[in-house]
Amino acid sequence: MQDMTLLLTALFLPLFPLSMVFNALFTRIQHVALRVILLATWPQIGLAILFTTDTAVPTWMLTWALITALLYAFRMLALRDVGQWTSFLATSWWAVLWLLATDHNQDTLQLYAIGLTIPFILLTLLSANLIKQFGAAYSGLHGGLAQSMPRFSGVLVVVILASIATPLFPNFFIMLKIILNTSSAMPIAILVLLVIWLLWSWAGVRLLQGLIVGTAKPGSEGEVSDIKTATSWLYALILITLVAGSVYFSGVFA
Amino acid sequence: MSLPLGTKLKIRSMIYIAGEPIPYFWPMRSFIHHNPLHALEHLPFKDAVSEGERLFHGRGYLPRTTYQGYLEQGKVDHEHLRQDIKTFLSTRDNINDIDEERCLMNLLTKTTQPVIQDHSLASSADLKAAFNGQVPTTDTSINIEQIKESLRQKLQGDRPVYEAIDALYGTEIGKELDELVIKSCLDFFDEGQSVWGMPEREQGFFCAWREVASCNAKLFVRGKDINKILEANKSPEGIICRVMETLQIPEENWVAYFTSELTRLHGWAGFVRWRASAKHYYWNEKYPADLVDFAAVRLIFALALLKEQARKHIPSTASEISNLIENHAEETYLRYELNSGSVLPAFAVQVEQALAIGNKKRIINVFNKYVINKRAHEASQQAKRLRQLAIAADCKIEALKNMSEDNLAKLVNTFSDFEKQEGYTWLRAMESHAMSQLLKGVSLQPEPKREKRPFVQAMFCIDTRSERIRRHLESVGDYQTFGIAGFFGIPVSFMELGKGSQSHLCPVLLTPKNLVLEMSVAEQLDVNAATAMKKAVHELKESIFGPFVTVEAIGILFGFDMLGKTLMPQTYHHWRSQFKKKKPPTHMLLDKLDREQADSIVRAVQRAVIVQAVHQEFKLETEQVSDGMVRELREASLGKLNDTVVFKQTLKLSNQQAKDFVKRLQDVYRITPAFSRIQLEQLARIGFSLDEQVNFVSQALRSIGMTKEFSRFILLFGHGSTSDNNPYESALDCGACGGNHGLVNARALAQMANKAEVRYRLRKQGIDIAEDAWFIPALHNTTTDELKLYDLDRLPSSHIVYIDRLRNGLLSASRLCAQERLPSLQIQETPREPAAAYREIERNSMDWSQVRPEWGLSRNAYFIIGRRALTHELTLEGRAFLHSYDYRVDTKRRLLENILTGPLVVGQWINMEHYFSTVDNERFGSGSKVYHNVADRFGVMTGNLSDLRTGLPSQTVLNKGLPYHEPLRLITVMEAPFEHAKQAIEAVVTVKYLVYNAWIRLLIIDPEEQLVCSYENGEWIKRPLSSLQKPVSPEEANTL
Repeated sequence: MQDMTLLLTALFLPLFPLSMVFNALFTRIQHVALRVILLATWPQIGLAILFTTDTAVPTWMLTWALITALLYAFRMLALRDVGQWTSFLATSWWAVLWLLATDHNQDTLQLYAIGLTIPFILLTLLSANLIKQFGAAYSGLHGGLAQSMPRFSGVLVVVILASIATPLFPNFFIMLKIILNTSSAMPIAILVLLVIWLLWSWAGVRLLQGLIVGTAKPGSEGEVSDIKTATSWLYALILITLVAGSVYFSGVFA
Repeated sequence: MSLPLGTKLKIRSMIYIAGEPIPYFWPMRSFIHHNPLHALEHLPFKDAVSEGERLFHGRGYLPRTTYQGYLEQGKVDHEHLRQDIKTFLSTRDNINDIDEERCLMNLLTKTTQPVIQDHSLASSADLKAAFNGQVPTTDTSINIEQIKESLRQKLQGDRPVYEAIDALYGTEIGKELDELVIKSCLDFFDEGQSVWGMPEREQGFFCAWREVASCNAKLFVRGKDINKILEANKSPEGIICRVMETLQIPEENWVAYFTSELTRLHGWAGFVRWRASAKHYYWNEKYPADLVDFAAVRLIFALALLKEQARKHIPSTASEISNLIENHAEETYLRYELNSGSVLPAFAVQVEQALAIGNKKRIINVFNKYVINKRAHEASQQAKRLRQLAIAADCKIEALKNMSEDNLAKLVNTFSDFEKQEGYTWLRAMESHAMSQLLKGVSLQPEPKREKRPFVQAMFCIDTRSERIRRHLESVGDYQTFGIAGFFGIPVSFMELGKGSQSHLCPVLLTPKNLVLEMSVAEQLDVNAATAMKKAVHELKESIFGPFVTVEAIGILFGFDMLGKTLMPQTYHHWRSQFKKKKPPTHMLLDKLDREQADSIVRAVQRAVIVQAVHQEFKLETEQVSDGMVRELREASLGKLNDTVVFKQTLKLSNQQAKDFVKRLQDVYRITPAFSRIQLEQLARIGFSLDEQVNFVSQALRSIGMTKEFSRFILLFGHGSTSDNNPYESALDCGACGGNHGLVNARALAQMANKAEVRYRLRKQGIDIAEDAWFIPALHNTTTDELKLYDLDRLPSSHIVYIDRLRNGLLSASRLCAQERLPSLQIQETPREPAAAYREIERNSMDWSQVRPEWGLSRNAYFIIGRRALTHELTLEGRAFLHSYDYRVDTKRRLLENILTGPLVVGQWINMEHYFSTVDNERFGSGSKVYHNVADRFGVMTGNLSDLRTGLPSQTVLNKGLPYHEPLRLITVMEAPFEHAKQAIEAVVTVKYLVYNAWIRLLIIDPEEQLVCSYENGEWIKRPLSSLQKPVSPEEANTL
């Protein structure tokens, strides 16, 4: 029964190959609202299931989680579709959350999951904008967004930085927590975590390079329109709140 | 294996021909403005631009929206646009269903995006269906042969194999190849920037590179086993042949293939090409290289990288690509769509996944689905754009809907062809406006008779920047100005005081025969100490370990320097300049040496060398070396004496020892008859004979029509610029002086013209220079507008009382000019008082963060050959090259031909450099200065690794991302009778082709017939000047 629970958890805090379910679902669902709901709820379900049993997570599962995170981080390097990139990053991140499962209570972990998923949700909203304007959110097809959509580009850069655990964003503090937490139990895991972190950053830079720089191209409907100033302020507000929240909670959970 | 000589020569010839379209790249120390499409000047301008766009992947005209902006500002002749559209349509089949003229006018002036898109799949039937709101019928299957043909055109022919692979597989072989070639070039062509040089450079580029590459572990580790390729042949020609055979390129495509390879890094290729042709160039003599070496290195790297990819089962030869197209057309098509960025966005993921999985059935399924959608997409997009155009042009949409498929195809073709050549239409319309504005303001009135001679006559360079200062100088007093090529017609090879190399101070088209030396009249500087200090600082900064070990000790000194330059550039500059030792007063050795003087100099040099040699070899002090001993040794070395008695006795040497020393003097110190002859020949180059001096002065004065009524002061203004931290500084100097300051030529002409013997002979030729007329050399600093007089120590005492008045006049002109220029250099166009503007502009020249110390020759548009009175009333805003010319003193047209041969050609180069740098700053220009880094001391790169940036930086031609320079072909105005001018043009072949191929727009203003003659579309058109003139309002004058 406990093994079944763990397996079910591995579906929602996705571990390979069960993670394929989430990714297939995310790719199939094109509606932005449904994608947002999926991102917001999927890890929460996983955590809820995980905490229905008191059994400690076995080490082999932690290793499995690390391998999953590493696999998805590595695969992200070759991805050009922003949606797929988001789902792979989410998968990689959520797998890493397993490393905190033994030492933290459900509320804390759920808060962590919310914190780190918010950038993915923002990224999904931004990619919807790209699909609307260009027909797809695909790196390398319509570069030069910095020229044609400067506000959008600014927000996109910060959101991707937030997703890949740049300091002061929640993902950074969570990653720090995981590394500190793992250092005593699985010293070798730290090395793997750092490699994963490096791969996320590298993939992020590659994605941005294909979208932001270069010469601007017209959109599928001709002229490209940037997001409104008010919208960009809204994004900024969310991101600032994230930073403030993460700084605050980093003290609370220190 | 060695290659037969015939094959080697064939390869060399092929590379030579392949390299011809690539423009030379001169070292930036003496920046030469040139036409990037110079090699295509044998073609009409329009065709050359198309060819240039194909070769260099650049843009030949501005974007449509920029021209539309000019139209709004009234800088485009609207009527000319209409006429050009009519002319264009007259050559096409008429389509009655729609008003094409109105549509094309709307397309030009109202539509911002191209109307016709490249469509590879949609047919006119699909377009018709799309107009009627239908989806193209799926029963018409896609013609796979058509797709194959399209792929062949895109991927084969002269396209390098690795480019095709990159386009199909998304690899970045081309990028990596460029980086490897650039690194190799940086290593070999370094001119002293690195402290550690590449070994074996004396053997030439290919051999030196070969030595290094064969032990490059990094390449070996990555699998690029260069050695295997190098083993195939020793010579670069052999390697090239081998690589081309391995890549399976048909031999008939080799030349075009080489051109494609070389144009990928046309900056480096242009530099190598120039260097190989510059026989006198020190670095090429020392470390030779040519395009064959360059091509060999490039091709070896290309093959190695392709081989590396081949291990991943990616094709690596032209035949394999061909097979791929023939046997896997669907996959190849999808690959090309995905990696060239033209894939339908909605299909991107699907196509990528199908290709990644590699299942043939799945690929064909995706292909079938994709092409149907692509066809529908192309048709609907095309229909949408045509519909929008029709609405904008007030045409009935129904007409489009009801149009037959044939007519629809014709319409699309007409619009497509028009869009391909619309840039030329815009250009002509802009030029038409610029010409009519100029013609409205020119005056053929004779100059009013003067009661007395002017206070000062001043000769300025024809440079566009002189126009402003001349206008202001004329406005502040009784100053008469003339325009002449900045080298004053004297090609000089100049050896500056304290420098061992010669600079050619003349247009690059000429090679000077005469050498001028600068001699100090003060105590000599300790040059060695200064040089050693500079070298030590350089080594500290540039070596790998220097900064590491010295930063704590002396780093703070550089910190002070940085703070001073950044925070208080002007004050710091003045403070620091106090510590610099000023250059001592100098004279120039201008007169030719006679035989006796030359002999005497050679003797003196040989004697000095012998004294040094004796000191060096035997530690004998100068006072111990007697004249007799030196004479004896010299004559023995020259073979005139057999024994050296005094020398032997003084040093107590045996016969053999003395003979050995004499041999050493011959072999090491080169005291031989043969070397003496060489020295005498070199000395014979120094200076000008009296005849030459008379000729140069006479020609300079006659060419500008200055043969009588000489003033007391005749100022000869050379020009130059001063700026800090600016690799492009020489681009702001005088182009006619080979990208150097023009002061030396001014000093030379002044010294010649002030000579009594010269004046005496000129008088005999009818040029009567007044007794009290004095030529003073001067420098116009184009960055600060300062006008500074030189060689005043030679001024006759009778003139000194007028100097204050002269200086005041010059200062006033400088300040007024600065006031006029300053607003265009500021971010905020705030007007300033003249004195404040002058100070502000001076600061610009000292500010090391200033990326635009001046606008240089930007906005040049006109070249006016005629009397000053022709445009005296016009404010030309520094847009015109002004060459003074009076056809009445040039009955044989010799002077006019000289003007056409030199100054006009240089003007055209400058104009074309600005034109192409503006229309495509990234490809033909050099992009933003902000990212530039000096490469090897002769060029700049963007970032730390790029092609050598040719052309002008964006800060010189663009303002806030939009063109500051208005790109027009040079509008050349000649004031002379039609036949007189026409015959002069016919006599100068270069200029004849420039005019007939429309590289310059020529207007001949015939003052005798009062006609304006222009050359358009292959014929001369004559119109009365009066019909083109009406009063010019101040607003119109400003739009010039």
